[in-house]
Amino acid sequence: MPQATKEIQRRIKSIGNTKKVTKAMEMVAASKMRKAIANVLATRSYSNLAWDLVKTLASRTDSKYHPLLEKRAKVKKIGLVLITSNRGLCSGFNAAIINRSIKYITKNEDAEVELIVLGDKGKDFMSKKGHKIVAEFEKLDITTNITEITPLAKLLVDDFIEAKYDKVVLAYTDFISTLVQKPRVLELLPINSDNVDKDLGQVTGESEKDLEHKEFEYLFEPSPDEVLSELLPRLIEMQIYQAILESDASEHSARMVAMRGASDAASDMIDDLTLIFNKARQSSITSELADISGGRMAME
Amino acid sequence: MSKILFKIATPERIVFEEKIDQITLPTKMGEITLLPNHLPLVSTLIPGEILFKIDKEEIPMVVSGGFVEFNNNTLTILADTAEKVEEIDEKRAEEGRQKAKELLDKKQDMAEVDFVALSSQMEKELARLRVIRKYKKLKPRLEIKREEDNN
Repeated sequence: MPQATKEIQRRIKSIGNTKKVTKAMEMVAASKMRKAIANVLATRSYSNLAWDLVKTLASRTDSKYHPLLEKRAKVKKIGLVLITSNRGLCSGFNAAIINRSIKYITKNEDAEVELIVLGDKGKDFMSKKGHKIVAEFEKLDITTNITEITPLAKLLVDDFIEAKYDKVVLAYTDFISTLVQKPRVLELLPINSDNVDKDLGQVTGESEKDLEHKEFEYLFEPSPDEVLSELLPRLIEMQIYQAILESDASEHSARMVAMRGASDAASDMIDDLTLIFNKARQSSITSELADISGGRMAME
Repeated sequence: MSKILFKIATPERIVFEEKIDQITLPTKMGEITLLPNHLPLVSTLIPGEILFKIDKEEIPMVVSGGFVEFNNNTLTILADTAEKVEEIDEKRAEEGRQKAKELLDKKQDMAEVDFVALSSQMEKELARLRVIRKYKKLKPRLEIKREEDNN
């Protein structure tokens, strides 16, 4: 019996160590999550307003005024921006968004899909699967400044205008709450109002304005070209930024929840094993006692 | 009388949201004033002062560029930064201007991009300063007037 108790003791100790690690990771993830959530909530109302404006403009303005509004008749090439995390241990976070993008790719079979990846996990998976990755951008743990994504935004806008892509989509994870995140594919370019129900940050629940019923055209000052060429790229950039922030917040939340689950499971396991350990210890004492008293009986 | 629903947002927060009677904005083409029932309009803002009226009260704000959309008596401003006058720290604005100016003077041969960025930075700080100085001058006078009224 002492053999068995020793074994159990060793296991309890090792699980205890694992628990320490997961607990620490949970703390780290929680503090990052707080920062990321603060970021995402701060910019969300701005980016919602911006996206509303972009959509209203797109539906109200002749697409000849700006190349970004131009809807291509035949979609031959799609650029898909896949936002994942660099590290794992965040339960289904990466799998969910990767699956969502794969679904999108298979749905658009007749078009060639090229990937622009952010985050190692997405990159590794997609290159293993043999998808074409044309560009890779570094994914920071927490993105805090819009200038960090300017190169990405510029690449997307330029490639779309040069007609390298007929469509640009963003695959990101929408942050709904700490416990709920939703993978989503957003059609970013061309800007049209077909994708009304897919805007960012649905938590705010801002309803779509009833655009269809009002007939009017915007007055542009100084001129449509000038205003649009300044406004559209900036608001597009904002949209990408927001998508990354949403993904950041989702990633850290998912990781925190996963780590909390792991710590809880470790505690349960330690409790169970302690019980088994105590039983084993007790039964070994009992049998020893029985041996001793049995021996004495025989002596007498 | 109809009013304008005015909303001004920056990437950090929604700065202000209220029903107003009229508003004056610094656009690229010059200052414009919007009244209720104006035509739908989209324009770009330059650093400067926003002045709007609620009932009889005039409230000034500072923006450092952005976009403005007016439609169906709803005015949305997407600003890079925006502050109410009482929120501006004059010392900070002055320091910011000094710093931008020093950098600008020092690096004559820097890349064009940096130069443009710095110039616009200075423009923004200058707009802040301009507005705060204007209202600082005004404020004491208003207070004196009030004292006279009391007497």
